Amino acid sequence: MAILVSRLLFLFSLFLSVAQCVTKTYDFDVSWVSANPDGLKERSVIGINGQWPIPTINVTKGDQLVVNVKNSLGNESTSLHFHGLYQNGTTHMDGPAQVSQCAIMPGSTFTYNFTVDQPGTYWYHSHVRGQYPDGLRGAFIVQDPEDPHKDLYDEEIVLTFSDWYHDHMPDLLASFISIANPSGAEPVPNSALVNETQNLAVKIKPGKTYMFRIINMGAFAAQYIWFEGHTMQVVEVDGVYTEPADAEMIYVTVAQRWSVLVTAKNDTNANFAFVGSMDEDLFDTVPDGLNPNVTGWLVYDDTKEKPAPKEIESFEPFDDFDLVPQDKEELYDHVDYQIQLDMKMDNLDDGANYAFFNDQTYAAPKVPTLYTVLSTGPNATNPEIYGSHTNQFVLDHNQVVEIVLNNDDPGKHPFHLHGHAFQLVHRSADDAGFYDASNHSAFPATPMRRDTILVNPNGNLVLRFRSDNPGVWLFHCHIEWHVASGLIATIIEAPLALQKQLSGKIPQDHQQACRAGNVLMEGNAAGNTVDVLDLQGETSFPSPIPTGFTARGIVALVFSCVAAFVGMGVIGWYGMAPIKAKSG
Amino acid sequence: MVQIFAAQVFFICLRECLETSIIVSVLLSFLAQTLTSEADKPIYRKLVRQIWLGVILGVAICVVFGAAIIGTFYHLQSDIFSQYEYIWEGVFSLIASAIITIMGAALLRISKMRDKWRVKIAAALDANSAGESSPRGLRFLGEKYAMFLLPFVTVLREGLEGVLFIIGAGLGLPATAFPLAVACGLGVGALIGYLLYRGGNAGSLQLFLVASTCFLYLIAAGLLSKSVWFFENYAWNVAIGGDAAETGAGPGSYDIRQSVWHVNCCSPQLDGGGWWGVFNSIFGWQNSATYGSVISYNLYCIGVGAAFLAMYSREKKAAKTE
Repeated sequence: MAILVSRLLFLFSLFLSVAQCVTKTYDFDVSWVSANPDGLKERSVIGINGQWPIPTINVTKGDQLVVNVKNSLGNESTSLHFHGLYQNGTTHMDGPAQVSQCAIMPGSTFTYNFTVDQPGTYWYHSHVRGQYPDGLRGAFIVQDPEDPHKDLYDEEIVLTFSDWYHDHMPDLLASFISIANPSGAEPVPNSALVNETQNLAVKIKPGKTYMFRIINMGAFAAQYIWFEGHTMQVVEVDGVYTEPADAEMIYVTVAQRWSVLVTAKNDTNANFAFVGSMDEDLFDTVPDGLNPNVTGWLVYDDTKEKPAPKEIESFEPFDDFDLVPQDKEELYDHVDYQIQLDMKMDNLDDGANYAFFNDQTYAAPKVPTLYTVLSTGPNATNPEIYGSHTNQFVLDHNQVVEIVLNNDDPGKHPFHLHGHAFQLVHRSADDAGFYDASNHSAFPATPMRRDTILVNPNGNLVLRFRSDNPGVWLFHCHIEWHVASGLIATIIEAPLALQKQLSGKIPQDHQQACRAGNVLMEGNAAGNTVDVLDLQGETSFPSPIPTGFTARGIVALVFSCVAAFVGMGVIGWYGMAPIKAKSG
Repeated sequence: MVQIFAAQVFFICLRECLETSIIVSVLLSFLAQTLTSEADKPIYRKLVRQIWLGVILGVAICVVFGAAIIGTFYHLQSDIFSQYEYIWEGVFSLIASAIITIMGAALLRISKMRDKWRVKIAAALDANSAGESSPRGLRFLGEKYAMFLLPFVTVLREGLEGVLFIIGAGLGLPATAFPLAVACGLGVGALIGYLLYRGGNAGSLQLFLVASTCFLYLIAAGLLSKSVWFFENYAWNVAIGGDAAETGAGPGSYDIRQSVWHVNCCSPQLDGGGWWGVFNSIFGWQNSATYGSVISYNLYCIGVGAAFLAMYSREKKAAKTE
């Protein structure tokens, strides 16, 4: 009897868990469509199911998400990355091509299938070389029935901000990474967009409080964002709830998300502008006629005018370093493993400008790094097998890892870590130089956490996280130009645990994708399965520029000297000859 | 540091001044040798004064004329040339190289001029003494003031030639590069002229002439190489859509496809170049050498050597047939 009851209970609980676990399925047919979001130029963009802007993915925490992707682009391969999702146990669903999967070739289909176990504001985008700014970028919202702030607001509204180019990324990339662009000047966007359009009217009701889920889906430009006449209250960054904090203006780098509460006024006497303003400090030169701003309005009353935004005197954004996570997770004060990344920009011997971590620029390996982990057995813990151009770090399981990032470049860079949110324990001001572990301001007791963080020009950052998520995770600058120029590190987290998780469990369509693209699925970075320490045949890459004289230069200099001596010798001999003849 | 010394200008001034000094010294020694008696003293003094007057006047006119031309030229240059700076610098260097190449050979033959001038002066004085038969007028004036006119005309001719030569060879140089080089050239030229007058031997003069000619040809080789370099750099600037020099001397300031050597320092271009600029103007130094600049330098040196060999064999043939 007791056994029967327990069996019944088991079945009942099984039923309950099935009922809770909703599966949401999206069928995405990725193809080219035409659009003109800034009213300046009609161009082809990457849409989904014949539409652009692409749909928002909307799920509830705990849902199983299935995204069936069909690549109908014809001329480009693709992949989807669900930005900010930890993918615990499903690193093979993370999306970066040549890292955790093979790119989805034109005509192929591919299924992403994973459980979403975290609430908040995310986005999804292509993670194939420089592709998403051509349109394949959309919001990804995870509702939370247990949102600690749910009593503070009435409705939520998604606002995506982005920059927009009139030219296609492959063309822009070709001119960006080129001998003709030795200074590495990034292409400057042609426009700024909000919800992939401009002059957006957002209808609001007096007295209500709205949660704006703000996402910067741009390729390059961070944006200053403010609402005229309204104060924001920050309650979430990158999926991490924060203690509410007031802000008049926020600075949202590409790939960051901020949820802010805005309480509407009690009257409908006027409408108010809100503005996204691209940070022009990022641009090498600001072209004439560029409008760096995109404007929308909080519309209380349709019949009233929408006022032009007011000029502001200066940009004084809120500092996200000061945020406190709502869960009060304490500082990880004991560091087990430190990764130091010194980043810079420099030229290689093809004349083009590249980005470097520790003097090494990233180039994708021949075998996606995840598949190297899964096919090399105990050797997977040896960093060498992942190649010479992947900036790889192998982490042990469940350790506290610290990333020290030194920005040896006068630009601002938003860094993103896949698979984790990290604690921001230190961020220097501009021009502070390299991080000095023996001389820094006190770390906060409950550091702010997020997955995309700004490092200041010539400054530094210290991030900490726990390596509790076996997988292959990229750490990279989210400026799409710098992704292309190699500002990427590969973190191989708990490879042996990962093998236990995923060996033999890579779905058929993932293997199919590699076969379709003729990409190797086994062996080290060079695809060598016999001797995994032998990297012969791995991806080749331009070499550093030799400094000073090479053999060629010395030969040329010697020849020039000899030629000069010979020429002058003849002149001297000729010049002296008549005298000799006379005296002789 | 702005460029304050143009080596080619120095050597040209030196050469022209030397030429003038030789003539003056020939005249002075001629007078000293012919008018030896006590009775000739007044006329000797008068004639010497005439010579120096001629020299000073000639030099003054040349300096004024040269300064005016160069001044006008640079006044115009700032407006016209800035836009296509590299093209102009390339063209100017090419012209300068050609001018030095053509005129340089003449420098080696200066010593012959002493004999030529002795004959000329003797003829002039002969005409003076036999002058009674001729009608008074221009010719008389010419004869009476021969000791003035000879150096005056010579200085004027050599000087104006020098001015044009300097402008041609110094095209594209900043105006600040001229004064010191001109002053030094004239000073050293005069000094050598004086030493020669005091009894220097022909051999050391010849040696000196040969050495300075060699320098001029080295400069010309450098100029040709520089001209090629400027044209290439212009093309590079067009390719990258900006002024490469803005990126300093590091990567991106040059076209790596054309590079033979590159050192991230020692640029003769940046900040006037300092000593590297001097090194550049005498030996054609580039911190960023290209195939074009190296090959043109080598070919020029070999070409000049070959040309002098050809000249020598032709002269030898001519001597045999005489």
